[in-house]
Amino acid sequence: MPDVPNVGQLVLLGLATLAFVIAAVIALLRLKGQRESLRLPGKIALYAGIGLGVAVLAWHSMLRGSWIPLEDNFDTFVWLAMLLAMFIAYTQRTRPLRGLESFMTPLIVLLLIGAAVFGKTTPHEYLKSAWSWFHRTSAFGGALAFAVAGCAGAMYLFVNQQLRSKRVSPGGRLGNLERLEHVTVVSVTLGFALLTIALITGLVLALQGSAMGKNWYTQPKVVLTFVAWVVYALVMHAPINPSFRGRKTAVLSVIGLALMSGILIAVQLMPASR
Amino acid sequence: MNRLLLIGLNHTTAPLEVRERLSFNAQQRADAIARFKTQFPSCEIVLLSTCNRVEFYLARAVHGNPRVEELLQFVADFHALPTSDFETHIYQKSDRQVIDHLFRVASSLDSMVLGETQILGQVREAYDACTTSAGPLLNPLFQRAIAAGKQVMRDTALSEGRLSVASVAVDYARGIFDTFSDKTVLCIGAGKMTALVLKHFAQLSPGRMLICNRDRSKAEVLTTRFGGEAVGLDALQEHLVSADIVISSTGASHPIITRQHVDVLRRKRRYRPIFMIDIAVPRDVEPAVGEIDGVYLYNLDDLQEVVSRTQGQRKDVIAAANQIISTQVEAFVSWNRQRELGPAIRALYSRYHAVAQEEVARTINKLPNLSEAEKAHLEDLSRRIVNKLLHDPIQTLRESETAHAQAAQYLHALEKLFHLQTDEQGADEPKGE
Repeated sequence: MPDVPNVGQLVLLGLATLAFVIAAVIALLRLKGQRESLRLPGKIALYAGIGLGVAVLAWHSMLRGSWIPLEDNFDTFVWLAMLLAMFIAYTQRTRPLRGLESFMTPLIVLLLIGAAVFGKTTPHEYLKSAWSWFHRTSAFGGALAFAVAGCAGAMYLFVNQQLRSKRVSPGGRLGNLERLEHVTVVSVTLGFALLTIALITGLVLALQGSAMGKNWYTQPKVVLTFVAWVVYALVMHAPINPSFRGRKTAVLSVIGLALMSGILIAVQLMPASR
Repeated sequence: MNRLLLIGLNHTTAPLEVRERLSFNAQQRADAIARFKTQFPSCEIVLLSTCNRVEFYLARAVHGNPRVEELLQFVADFHALPTSDFETHIYQKSDRQVIDHLFRVASSLDSMVLGETQILGQVREAYDACTTSAGPLLNPLFQRAIAAGKQVMRDTALSEGRLSVASVAVDYARGIFDTFSDKTVLCIGAGKMTALVLKHFAQLSPGRMLICNRDRSKAEVLTTRFGGEAVGLDALQEHLVSADIVISSTGASHPIITRQHVDVLRRKRRYRPIFMIDIAVPRDVEPAVGEIDGVYLYNLDDLQEVVSRTQGQRKDVIAAANQIISTQVEAFVSWNRQRELGPAIRALYSRYHAVAQEEVARTINKLPNLSEAEKAHLEDLSRRIVNKLLHDPIQTLRESETAHAQAAQYLHALEKLFHLQTDEQGADEPKGE
C-alpha cells in the first residue's frame, strides 16, 4: 500500500473541504446579517461535508482492510474533522447554539487541509500495546474536546466584546455567555482528563524506551503537551478560584487550543515524535 | 404681541452626561420657574425636563427679555455650571419652528423611541406644573400639542409593534444568561420606568425578585403586581451580592452604585457576571462600573440607540404621523394669526373709520343744506375710501402667515406706526379634536 492516500480519496477529500468552506462562508454571512434564507443551504453544505468525509474514511478503511480508527495520520485528521462536524450537527439538532458553525467549520477545513498535506497512510503501531492504544486515543480525544473548548472560548470572547462595546443588536446572533462558558468548562474537564491519561501513558511508553529516544523530554511535542496541560489545569481551576471564570477561562481555552495545534503540527513535522 | 422661543437640548444634541447635569426634577423645576418669573415677570414659560430632553418654551414680547444669552446664563446659574459646558449642545427655535417642534415632541416623533407614549404624559405634566407661568400663547399651544399627540397615538400605528427599552434590556439579558430560574433580579426604585422594565423581566420567571426602594410601601405596590420581595435600601450592598440583574431608576441626584462598591463586592459575588440596567437620569450607576470585568452596564442611551435602529422600517407610519402633525400645526398657526392679527386689524379699521367719521361730521356741519340721502352718501364715501386705503396693507399682513416671524414683524410695525392698542384675547381658543 502506498504511503499517501490515492487520488480518488484526495478528490473526495477536496470536495468535502469545499463543502465545509461553503458551510463556513454561509455561517459567516449569517453571522454578519440575520439571513434566515441561508440557513438551509448552510445545513445542506454541512451535511454534504460530513457525508463526503465519511465516504473518504470508508474508502480508506476498505483499502487498508481495517475499520479501526486513528490507525494512520490521514485517517486521524479526517476522523477529528468529522467528529467536530458531527458535534456541530448534533448540537444544532438538540439544543442549537447560534454561530457555532462560524467558529468550528474553519477548524474542520484546516484539519482536512492538514489531512491532504500531512496525511500518510503508514499504519501506526498503536494496537500492539494497550499503553499505546490508550495514549493515542486519549490524546486525540483530548484534542477533540479542547477544539470544542477553544471554539466555545473564542465565541465567548467575541460575544463578550460585542456586549461590552454595545454594538451588537440585542438577542445576539451567537449563544449566550453563560452557556458558552458552560460548554468551555465541560469540554476542558473532559479534555483535561483525557490529556492526563495521554501524558501518563506517554510517560510509560517513553520509559519503556519507545521510538522517542533517550532525550524524549526535550522534544517539542512533550514540552508543548506539558505546557498545554498546565494551561488547562488553570482553566480547570476556575470552579475553585472563581476569579478565573468568564473571560480568563475563555482566553486560556483559546491559548490551549493554539498549543494543541502546535503539538499536532510537531507530531506531523517531526517523524521521531509520532 | 408675543413671540415664541425655544431653547433646549435633547438626546440628538447632547450626551447623557450633559443631559443629566442640566435635568430638573419636580422640585427644581418649581424653583426654577419661580426664580425665572421673578427675573422676567412678563415672559411666559413652560419647562419640559425628561430623560432625553431639557427644553424651555418661552413666549415674550418681540424685543423683550430674556434674550437667548440671558436664558443660558439663567440655566447655568441655576445648575451652578459654566455656560461653556452645555452651550454647544443647545438648539434654538422660534415661532412656527417652536410649534412644529412641540407638536412632534408630544407625538413622540422627536423621541429616540418612536411611538413611546410616556412623552405625552411628560409634556402634560410639564404643562400642568407651569400653568401659572404659561399665558395666552403657551396655554393654547400646549393644550393643542397634547391633543395632537393623542391624535397621532390614536389614529396611527406609531405606538404598535415597536421595540421598547424594556424589551431590549431583556434581549441583552438573554445574551448574557442562559437560564433565569436560578437568577436574582434586583430593582432599585419603584417608579413608572422601573415598573415597565420589571414587567418584562417578571415574564422570564426569575428565581428571585427584590424590589428595593426608600419608601417600602411603593416597593410593595410593585411586589403585588409582579411578585417578589420588597426590601429596604439600607441593605443595598447585600442585595447587590445576590443579584444577577440590576434595574436601577431612582431620582437620586448622584450615583448610588459606584465602582468602589462593585469592586468590593466582586469577591463576595464569586466573580459572577452582573447585568446592570441604569435607566435613571441623572444616572444611578457610575459609568466606571461598566469597565469592570464581568459587569455589563447599559444606560438609557445604550438601550434607546438599539431601539432607534429599528425605526427605519416604519416609514409609512411615520409619514402618517407627520401628516397629522403638519395639519395640526397649520391649524394652530392659523388660529394664532387670527388671534394676533384680528385685534390689530379691528383697531386699525375702527381708528381710521372714526377719523373719517369725524371729518365727515365736520364737513356736514359746514354744509347745512344737505339732505339725509346726501349725508348718507358722504358717510358711505368716507367708509369706502378708508376700506380701499387699508385693503392692501391688511391683505399683505394676512398673507404673510407662511413665514410666521414676518407676520409678527409686520404686526409689530403696524402697532408701532399706527399707535394701536390691541386686545390679545380677541380670538377664541382653537377647536379641539
